[in-house]
Amino acid sequence: MSHHDDAERDLGILETHDSDVLAAFEGDLPGGVPTSARLLRRLRRAVPAAVAFAAVIGAWEALTRALDVQSFILPRPSLIVERFIATSGEIWGAGWNTLVEALGGLVAGIVLGVGVALATVRWVGLRDGVMPFAVAANSVPIIALAPIMNAWFSITSPVSKMAVVAVVVFFPVMINTARGLVEVDAAETELLHSYGASPRQVLRQVRVPHAFPYFFSALKVASALSIIAAIVAEYFGGPQDVLGQYIVAKANLFVYPDAWAAILVASIMGTTLYGLVLIVERLLMPWHVSLRGGDEP
Amino acid sequence: MSEGSELVVDAKGVGKVFGVGDVTVEALRGIDLAIGPGEFISLIGPSGCGKSTLLRLVGDLLTPTSGSVRINGKTPHQARRDRDYGMVFQKATLLDWRTVRRNVELPLEIMHIDQRRSRAAEMLDLVQLSEFAERYPWQLSGGMQQRVAIARALAFRPSLLLMDEPFGALDEMTREAMQQEVLRIYGETGITVVFVTHSIPEAVFLSSRVVVMSPRPGRISAVVPVDLPRPRTEDTRESQGYFDIITQVREALRSQERWVR
Repeated sequence: MSHHDDAERDLGILETHDSDVLAAFEGDLPGGVPTSARLLRRLRRAVPAAVAFAAVIGAWEALTRALDVQSFILPRPSLIVERFIATSGEIWGAGWNTLVEALGGLVAGIVLGVGVALATVRWVGLRDGVMPFAVAANSVPIIALAPIMNAWFSITSPVSKMAVVAVVVFFPVMINTARGLVEVDAAETELLHSYGASPRQVLRQVRVPHAFPYFFSALKVASALSIIAAIVAEYFGGPQDVLGQYIVAKANLFVYPDAWAAILVASIMGTTLYGLVLIVERLLMPWHVSLRGGDEP
Repeated sequence: MSEGSELVVDAKGVGKVFGVGDVTVEALRGIDLAIGPGEFISLIGPSGCGKSTLLRLVGDLLTPTSGSVRINGKTPHQARRDRDYGMVFQKATLLDWRTVRRNVELPLEIMHIDQRRSRAAEMLDLVQLSEFAERYPWQLSGGMQQRVAIARALAFRPSLLLMDEPFGALDEMTREAMQQEVLRIYGETGITVVFVTHSIPEAVFLSSRVVVMSPRPGRISAVVPVDLPRPRTEDTRESQGYFDIITQVREALRSQERWVR
């Protein structure tokens, strides 16, 4: 079982990484410098997650060995890590190309989503006319558009993948941001009205800050969706040095541990992107409820 | 003739009907109310008597269906543009993303008034919250939040302060402390105050006149002058004169009860 232990330790690198991300963003005072007591509290809060993670990986390793599961069904974690290290140049190269598509689409989707959301505040007619369709479109499996995007923007160009990602990202960002901009406390708009504020001032002082948490909860979903959408778009064809094509190729050759290693890369990228969104949210919204500590007067 | 223009609030025959077509509610009928500079007026009455509606008509948050309201001899709209009044509601309505100081600066920012920092500091000093300037609203108690709201309302030096049940959500102890606080600020600034409440002792303790209103439709049923000496203190709350006026207001409210039922 020494091999098993090694595998656990290897994956342990990822595991601490994950729990750090989680622990670092839970319930501290805005801008608070972590004191040693607070650091200890964070670490203690991360313990259950770390234990659960280790248990799942351990059980996976033990069961695949005990039941002698074939690697094309479900490879052992230790084998995945082995292939992850052996093919790291290839899979991270493919991962980078996929990441570029995901980020390009994410940025485009955010810009469009926020832009349309702002427009629905300015023109009420647009809101009433467009929002029902946007909400409907949001529940449609937009990913099915991928082959169409390959036809619209050349299949060999990363732009066709970015377009899929942008469309997938657009709807949640637009709908949530628009909701945050519109569903403000009437008492707040009335207060500004009593000061003779212009609609522009109401937008800046009340609507935009109010939309921040809505925008960020959409962005957390969208950041994960962007990697998913990019990979699924890649399944429909295009250049070979991307994660989607790499996974398909390895699966076709029955080299499943290599496919799993590529999936691990995708998971790391998705988690990191999510973590970055959390950091930006924390930096931009020191006032937000979820970031408040118990430091009442 | 010149006497009319000296009034801070001059309402004549004011009526307000909400709704359109068949579904209408007459909220106010035939309101005549004249308030001079430096007066502290409370509007009191049961729910639905239109006291908040009247305050909103004065504050240009609503427009009357009939009659006229003049503020310092101007229309309420003009008065609002001239920054004649500050408003405090039952909810403090502080913006969560601004610190206490920046909440007080908010009206100054919107009105493009300079020296915001020093004015905000001055106002926070007035409500005795200077050491909380850089805190966020959610780090303050309910009473402190309401004091920030008062500081914010006074930051642009209005001549009239409109308060709509400002202490309705506070516990009794905090409430009495806040009443003292408002009287101190009233004494220091000489501002005119219109104060909506449904607490009889609160109305009597604070006011120079208590305006008693009755519902369906909302109208003024009595005006009780409160000639208790100022400054009013905790001793005032135990004085015979205070109890006598409370009784007067209570009887004025009770005499309308048969109409309420």
